[in-house]
Amino acid sequence: MLLSMVLFAFATSPLGLLARREPRALVGWGLALLPFALFVVLCTQIPTVVGGPPIVETLSWVPALGLELRFSLDGLSLLFGLIITGIGTLIVGYAGAYMEKDIGLGRFLVYMFLFMGAMLGVVLAGNVLTMFVFWELTSVTSYLLIGYKHDYPDARRGAQHSLLVTGFGGLALLVGLLMLGAAAQQVGVPADQAYNFDTMLAAGSQIAQTSLYGPAMAFVFLGAFTKSAQFPFHFWLPGAMQAPTPASAFLHSATMVKAGVYLLARMAPGFGDTPIWNYTLVAVGGFTFAFGAFVAFRQYDIKALLAYTTLSQLGGLVLMIGLGGKYGAEALVTLILAHALYKSALFMTAGIIDHETGTRDLNRLGELRRLMPRTMVIVGIALLSQMGIPIMLGFVAKEWALKAALESNLAAPWPMVGLAAIMVAAICYIIAAWRFFKNAFLGTAHPDVLQRNVHDPKLAMLISPAIPALLSILLPFALPLVSTFLSPAASAVYGQSFTFDLYLYGGINQALLLSLGAIVIGGALATQERRLASQRIIASISGAQLFDRLIEGMLAVATGMTRQIQSGRLRTYVLYTVLAFFVFVGIPFIFYGLGDVRTIQNDTFYFYEVVVIGLIPVGVIATITARSRLGAIIAVSMVGAMMALVFVLFSAADLALTQLLIEVLSTVFLLFLFSVMPARFRNFSPTWVRWRDAVIAVCFGVLMSGLVLASVSTTLFQPLAPYYLEQSVPGGKGANVVNVILVDFRSLDTLGEIVVLFVAVLAIFGLLRFRKQRNDVRPSGRTLQTILPGEAGFLTGNAAHEGDSSTPVGKAKENMP
Amino acid sequence: MIFLLSIAIGSLFAGAIFLMLRRSVIKLILGLILLAHGAHLLMFTMGDGGVRRGAPPIVDYETGAVAPGTADPLVQALILTAIVISFGITAFIIALAYRATQAVKSDDLDDMATTDRL
Repeated sequence: MLLSMVLFAFATSPLGLLARREPRALVGWGLALLPFALFVVLCTQIPTVVGGPPIVETLSWVPALGLELRFSLDGLSLLFGLIITGIGTLIVGYAGAYMEKDIGLGRFLVYMFLFMGAMLGVVLAGNVLTMFVFWELTSVTSYLLIGYKHDYPDARRGAQHSLLVTGFGGLALLVGLLMLGAAAQQVGVPADQAYNFDTMLAAGSQIAQTSLYGPAMAFVFLGAFTKSAQFPFHFWLPGAMQAPTPASAFLHSATMVKAGVYLLARMAPGFGDTPIWNYTLVAVGGFTFAFGAFVAFRQYDIKALLAYTTLSQLGGLVLMIGLGGKYGAEALVTLILAHALYKSALFMTAGIIDHETGTRDLNRLGELRRLMPRTMVIVGIALLSQMGIPIMLGFVAKEWALKAALESNLAAPWPMVGLAAIMVAAICYIIAAWRFFKNAFLGTAHPDVLQRNVHDPKLAMLISPAIPALLSILLPFALPLVSTFLSPAASAVYGQSFTFDLYLYGGINQALLLSLGAIVIGGALATQERRLASQRIIASISGAQLFDRLIEGMLAVATGMTRQIQSGRLRTYVLYTVLAFFVFVGIPFIFYGLGDVRTIQNDTFYFYEVVVIGLIPVGVIATITARSRLGAIIAVSMVGAMMALVFVLFSAADLALTQLLIEVLSTVFLLFLFSVMPARFRNFSPTWVRWRDAVIAVCFGVLMSGLVLASVSTTLFQPLAPYYLEQSVPGGKGANVVNVILVDFRSLDTLGEIVVLFVAVLAIFGLLRFRKQRNDVRPSGRTLQTILPGEAGFLTGNAAHEGDSSTPVGKAKENMP
Repeated sequence: MIFLLSIAIGSLFAGAIFLMLRRSVIKLILGLILLAHGAHLLMFTMGDGGVRRGAPPIVDYETGAVAPGTADPLVQALILTAIVISFGITAFIIALAYRATQAVKSDDLDDMATTDRL
């Protein structure tokens, strides 16, 4: 069922294209039935999950590597799954109305459905590798969504930042997960289960003892913090606001950014409760909590304001995981629910305001209470929940967060750090909310607003934010029901099954007093919001700019290096290749191979052998020093001839034949080539370059000689020769073993060789023919009497002539060109 | 004997590298030819038992009997393939150099290096 749910989400994504048809708003709500179906299916599972163990489905893939498609549904997955599909339903319907005039709506909805499938995969995965696949899919699909308006540079930039940051985090996460899997195997988990969440978490306390735990956690944190926009990776989230509002409302408030939180919450029961875990999460989460809230109320753009409060809220969630304990788990799940509800409502209403007035700038709005009263009610309710005003769900969540800090078992300063962050955030939220509400709905209208015919949107758009906003105020009246639903989720985070009861008023206690205190201080400060927002309290270092600089710097370094290496001159490439050879072969050889060099072998010398072999270096030197082209050809031909003689002397008759034939042909070609070129060489390079190259070349030659001497007598491998010698007659029916190998044992190699020759012939033919046509002004048919009449004919003619011979000697010739 | 061969191999490689580092197209081609020779000879010494005199890898056609000390047939087969392929490459490069020289009216490689530069 779980697998088919994920598959269903992916398979039905092309249906989004239906949204091209009119009426868009109606089609949008029709398509919203797809996520709604998933929502309903998940709802039917609530009784099963609340009462019993998680539902697990496994589709084996590579069991030896622990790679399997494994899905599991427990309280935490269910909470996230319901948020994803529930909010998803509202967003898809909303998008149909919001983007009614956008021709790309179909494409947008396809991306949305793909994203929803990926996100469902993340929260339903029961195997870390399965989860990772979907994790990366969310990065890719969110990139598509943020870059949806790709003709705007800001959208491209935001999309790029998000992809680079989350993609980088994803890679880090993969490393971390693999390390955890390796650690799990170290402590005795079987390989085929090492990557399953349940087995991994069960072995968590042992894994935490291994040396891999620290680095693995560092990588996992990187992955989670980048995804959930924790400081200092937060900057991509405000940039992602370039996405159309439905995507912002869905991805960047309710779902994707919570993937990192989800991962941490999922891992908490096994890997949590260690100093690394608690202190990192409290520090990072707490700072992001306070920082985001602090920056939020200074924004003018409604979406940016909401983005920073989201950022802050994500920090709060991470902080709850870091604080740990039962209250931490309870506060976490309550906050997730409360935040998903009010933040999606706020984003959608921000979109409505933008849609109706054409701006999201708080300085250019005002007096919307008169023009958009229904919208105002929705915003008001959602903001009250965000501020944590009593009887709202946000109030309950905030009180539980305070309790989590007050009741935390961490060492002395850390609970206070958490508490301080919560208080700062709570106060700033009130200022931010008031700023939003006052500047948008109260006061006097900006002239721009009055010019347009601003009014409440139609029901198809208004209903989507209305539902979560209403739930924010209604759910506190059904707290026992909510508690029952949230208990399994909190149990999954805590690691043990327990139930808890949320309540609105539990008597006068510290948490309540702190909560009310925050409201009072926040309310007092909120009256001064304009002055506070205009104060330059902190230097505004833009993470996005810093990131851009970093990327630009990397590109500049890469360009510089490429300029150096890729000079466009072949000799530079040869030089680098040779130098690399020195480094990777020469240096190891000097350290490890010199001992193997045997200069003196028990061997007799014959005079003619010395002459033949000795003429090779002589020919090489003559080639280099030749002043004329003809001299060079003679010298290089002599080297070739001596090669043939070496083959004759040392039992390689076939090679000698081939070598001689080839040598003659090569010489003819060279003579032809040189005949069209100036007769004498010029020295292009200055003397010092020639000397430098000479030294490099000699070093290379010496190294090669040394390698030959060191390796010639090694017996590292079983020689293959005896096999071929023995099998030649019985296996290949031929006495000339070289030929049997070529045409029988390794005939595919020979086929490859023929292909190479054929391609060379075609290329040469094309090159020469091309010249002919270019030079021939008249369009005549006589173009094919080319410069080299013998060449192509020789190659093809020879093969045809010898093709049917079957004697060993015939086989030998067959392999010659 | 292997000592002499190793010197020959080293000189072939050294000469090849030196010529390939020059700016002339002709010298580049000569360098490639020498490089091929060097590689072939290098492979030749790597046969089972090094190089051998007067023992070509031919077995008795009737019985299939292998004389002791027969040279390694496998390296010879590989070298044979390599010789033919290097010839194909050489022929192609010669044709290419011919065309290039005609096109740019120079045998200086630097005059042909404009497509590859950043």
